[in-house]
Amino acid sequence: MFGNWRFQRLPSAHPGVAFAARAAAVIAALVFTGIILAIAGANPIELAAEVIDSSFGSSFGLEDLALLFIPLILTGLAVTVAQQIGTWNIGAEGQFYLGAFSATAVGLFVPGPPALILVLMFFAGIVGGMLWILIPTLARAYANVNELITTLLLNFVAALLVYYVSTGPWRDRVGLANSATPRLSAEVPEFWGIVHWGLPVAVLVVIATAAVFTFSRWGYEVRLSGSNPSAAKYAGIPVRRHLITVMLLSGGVAGLAGMLEIAGTVHRLQGGISNNFGYLGIMVAVLARGSSIGVIFSAALMAFILNSGIILQTQGLTTSAVLAMTGLILFLTAIGDELSHYRITREKT
Amino acid sequence: MDLLTGLLTTAFLAGGVLALAAIGEVLAERVGVVNLGVEGLMAMGAVTGIATVAATPVPIFGFLAALVVGAVFGAIFAFATVIVRANQVLCGLALTLMGAGLASTIGRNYSGMPARASFEGVSIPLLNQIPILGRALFSQNILVYLIYIILPIGLSYLMFYTRHGLNLRAVGENPAAADAAGIRVTLIRFTYVTAGAALAAGAGAYLTLAFVPSWSDGVVAGRGWIAVALVIFAGYRPVAAALSGLLFGLITALGFVGQARGWPVASAILSMLPYLGTMAFIIVPVLAWQRMRRVLAAPAALAVPYYRDMR
Amino acid sequence: MNETAPHFTPPAGTPPIVQLRGIAKYFPGVIANQDVDLEVHPGEIHALLGENGAGKSTLMNILTGIYQADAGEIIIDGYKREFASPQQAIAAGIGMVHQHFKLVQAFTVAENIHLGWDDTPRRASAAKLERRTADLAKRFNLQVRPGARISDLSTGEQQRVEILRVLARQARVLILDEPTAVLTPAEARELFSALRNFVAEGNAVFFISHKLDEVLEISDRITILRGGRKIATEKASDCDPRMLAKLMVGRDIVLDDMRARPQGAAPVSTEPVLSLKNVTAKGDDGSPALHDINLAVHAGEIVGIAGVAGNGQRELSQALTGVRPVTSGQIIVDGKPMGGRNAAAYAAGGIGHIPEDRLHSGLAPALSITINAVMREYMKPPITNAGVYNPAAATTLSKEIAEAADVAIPDYGMPIRNLSGGNQQRLVARREMRIANKVLVAAYPSRGLDVGAINTMLRYIVELRDAGAGIVLISEELEELLNLSDRIAVLYEGRIMGELENQNIDIDEIGLLMGGRTQSTETREVA
Repeated sequence: MFGNWRFQRLPSAHPGVAFAARAAAVIAALVFTGIILAIAGANPIELAAEVIDSSFGSSFGLEDLALLFIPLILTGLAVTVAQQIGTWNIGAEGQFYLGAFSATAVGLFVPGPPALILVLMFFAGIVGGMLWILIPTLARAYANVNELITTLLLNFVAALLVYYVSTGPWRDRVGLANSATPRLSAEVPEFWGIVHWGLPVAVLVVIATAAVFTFSRWGYEVRLSGSNPSAAKYAGIPVRRHLITVMLLSGGVAGLAGMLEIAGTVHRLQGGISNNFGYLGIMVAVLARGSSIGVIFSAALMAFILNSGIILQTQGLTTSAVLAMTGLILFLTAIGDELSHYRITREKT
Repeated sequence: MDLLTGLLTTAFLAGGVLALAAIGEVLAERVGVVNLGVEGLMAMGAVTGIATVAATPVPIFGFLAALVVGAVFGAIFAFATVIVRANQVLCGLALTLMGAGLASTIGRNYSGMPARASFEGVSIPLLNQIPILGRALFSQNILVYLIYIILPIGLSYLMFYTRHGLNLRAVGENPAAADAAGIRVTLIRFTYVTAGAALAAGAGAYLTLAFVPSWSDGVVAGRGWIAVALVIFAGYRPVAAALSGLLFGLITALGFVGQARGWPVASAILSMLPYLGTMAFIIVPVLAWQRMRRVLAAPAALAVPYYRDMR
Repeated sequence: MNETAPHFTPPAGTPPIVQLRGIAKYFPGVIANQDVDLEVHPGEIHALLGENGAGKSTLMNILTGIYQADAGEIIIDGYKREFASPQQAIAAGIGMVHQHFKLVQAFTVAENIHLGWDDTPRRASAAKLERRTADLAKRFNLQVRPGARISDLSTGEQQRVEILRVLARQARVLILDEPTAVLTPAEARELFSALRNFVAEGNAVFFISHKLDEVLEISDRITILRGGRKIATEKASDCDPRMLAKLMVGRDIVLDDMRARPQGAAPVSTEPVLSLKNVTAKGDDGSPALHDINLAVHAGEIVGIAGVAGNGQRELSQALTGVRPVTSGQIIVDGKPMGGRNAAAYAAGGIGHIPEDRLHSGLAPALSITINAVMREYMKPPITNAGVYNPAAATTLSKEIAEAADVAIPDYGMPIRNLSGGNQQRLVARREMRIANKVLVAAYPSRGLDVGAINTMLRYIVELRDAGAGIVLISEELEELLNLSDRIAVLYEGRIMGELENQNIDIDEIGLLMGGRTQSTETREVA
């Protein structure tokens, strides 16, 4: 059928090949989208030029990009952290909402000096995210209920909850817009244009997480438990305890993303505040291939793609088109991952 | 119409969305493939249904068009997961993102408009005289009969009382054994994954042509994920899937009644019920009925790709 | 030959039922088969003999259509055939009983018999299938319970289901892959007699094995494979074990008695270093798997555990090493009761564990060689100091272990699944030997290894014994147990049926115990 050429599946993909497959998937998805746009009557080259100019041509563009970058780093990290113990946290979206929700609650109702409130909001955001993943975590740890669906279902509950409080009990009764809470007084300070200190915080969190996983006994045990729980049990590692800790940590990181979005970027709670950051975080984690540091690079890529979508809105494109394209990238990445296990060889006869 | 009849009528109507999608997912999971793209497929089906009746106001055309679109997307998904054998979780999530994104891009033109044509009730003579059930079930639109009677019974028969059913279940349990026995694993997986995806998209069209009936962005609202969860709850059985869809229809109906009667609970809170209910339904049984695990167990090869000529 | 079945002689000029010519099959980096010619005639039992990895199973998988050959042809009854799928091979009358049964665990016997079979009625209710299965069982004289779930059956019963399934499809060529590995000696005799009856009707059998005695007993002709190539085909009556062994391995091998201690070896201690008192434990499904086990292991001795696989060996090795909690009874290590401790405490107490199925439970295949190599010592200096893990120190230790195991490793960061099975096993063994200063529990240490690697493994074990550790050796190879153990305990359905001193041991007695009979209840049956 293929002459002397044949396919062989190797037990593990070479890292270089796997990286190339990912890059190819992203490029193929971009090209495909370009073709669709061309068919729809747009000029993809012109659009691309505009996107690049708007993103990188000015400091405003870069600042916008940075503001998208922050939450994507953290939601991507949240999914990556959960992956270390072999679980899928598809609920970063919901934990993001709860982080925003809890931080807002503190910001609105706790009196005190702004600096102290900010610190309290920081911890409230993390705890909110943790609480939101608590039930899926316990269900997984004690009843072996798959966390994929339970974490995901709670996203809808979280979205409804935030929508409810921001249009109901917490809504701004003074301003004209009554679909959001009042502006919070405590703010994460800005250090470059509109970019706030959440950015270095997010990067620091990534580096700290990577360091803990690579350079601690606990990190070793988690990696082993995630890769093969039976081997971890054989080595006497408390797999269940690590599972619970790591999933809570994952929820906390996503909650922190929500807190920073509220306290640094948006300053008031409103429905839809998550902006799909939780779902895009899955994409970020998949592209990072389990590497915490890799999250920074794939989050940058996703921020650029998301920003392009926002820029192109003036051209009649919607953010949902960006979601569709993200799906396409994910789909091609999954295929590329599998294909990178194959080697084509030529047999001598 | 008394309260109970009204409640049941709404339950049958509302539950049909979940029942149909869950039955579709049962098909895929029984042959060993987890399709997490149901949410996206439903969105595609929903917008296809609306767009089709906008062009030709015949609801059944809208439903059929959704089946075709679902089958096409299902075939693409099956190509990736069954033939290339890519990770099923990732491909499913990708399908959800693609479907949802594409549907809302296409659906902008139809946003907020009611469907130009929708499914009307068809009373079945004699049966509609049965107290309560006569009005609740036998005066509904034609898809309701398909979803609660024809599909579950037909598919149960196929799965548990025929040779073909034995073979398809074997593919989901142990593809290597099925292969060695001469069953065409890839073909069966591909076929049922595609068929299941078509039903999922059909469920989307049912949503916009029979239940709501209109399109708005985000109209699917997580129903695809609930359907995936119901399959676990239903122990991978078509009749049980239809019944659990009905049960969730009942929860939705209770929410409507609550709103209509002005219960002092915000509608956003009532809207949370189905999601929280689903959580409870997949967690509680595992804790409560240890013994049921074996009866309701997932197909042993679920989400495991099958490689034959490899090692 | 056995007297019960008359020998079948085909009429002159009958072509062989199966003829293979120049078969070749390649896998990544491996020649599984090359230039293999083979034929089997009606009425013949033909043995395929070879070490693990010699290409026996691959060859038969080609004949049954599971793999497609990269070169060569298959000729059935004188006609060239191509099997693109198992279905076509089955239609041509070729059926295989795999070493790892291809049964659906969640299905009943009747469902397993009927799946993928064209003769199954299109409408197939459970009752109808069970009726048909009962009829088939009667016709082929094989006892099965049509309505029972496969997961509830013993391995011997499961094998009967496999055979019945193949026979029901009117197979004329029956291929059995290591069929006796899962049987007691009595069950094996029953199987042999069934095979003789089968070929007496003009059918043929391919019998894959690496056990010399059994091959000589059952077969008419023997083909020896080595490194994927055919070495020879001989009449069984012209062979003896020594010559077969030499053909199989390519050199003389000595099946050593390794019980003798060299000078300076540690003596057997008077007090046990590890003892189990009335230990009971549950299996993965929550049902009792070990009943009232009493066992004492002394320093410097090897205790063998014999028995058909699946009779509690896995649970016993896990209970012995703290991986599986016990429901009652006591485990005492060096005089200290270990109640409630986890596997880490056992390891810290000097108990090493070579688990069965190392890829699944002893290693994390996707992680690096270093991470796997340090699995027993990562928690203490020099690798971890005050909670800080030092990757460089871990790599140093894993180099040390790899050197002791004599495994050449190009890159310690690559996933351990890229190593061969033998190298993985050697690394695990060396890793465990480093901590096993009290006891080593070795479950099936030679499973899946070739003869050279097996010798290395056994040498390691003896070395550790001489250094003064107690060894628990769990194995399905009686020969291995007899060569190494000082005592042999026999496990059957989670109980120890008896413990025998390995002085003048009676193999028949071990066989009986493996089948669940003690001398007193014995009613001897000869097939």
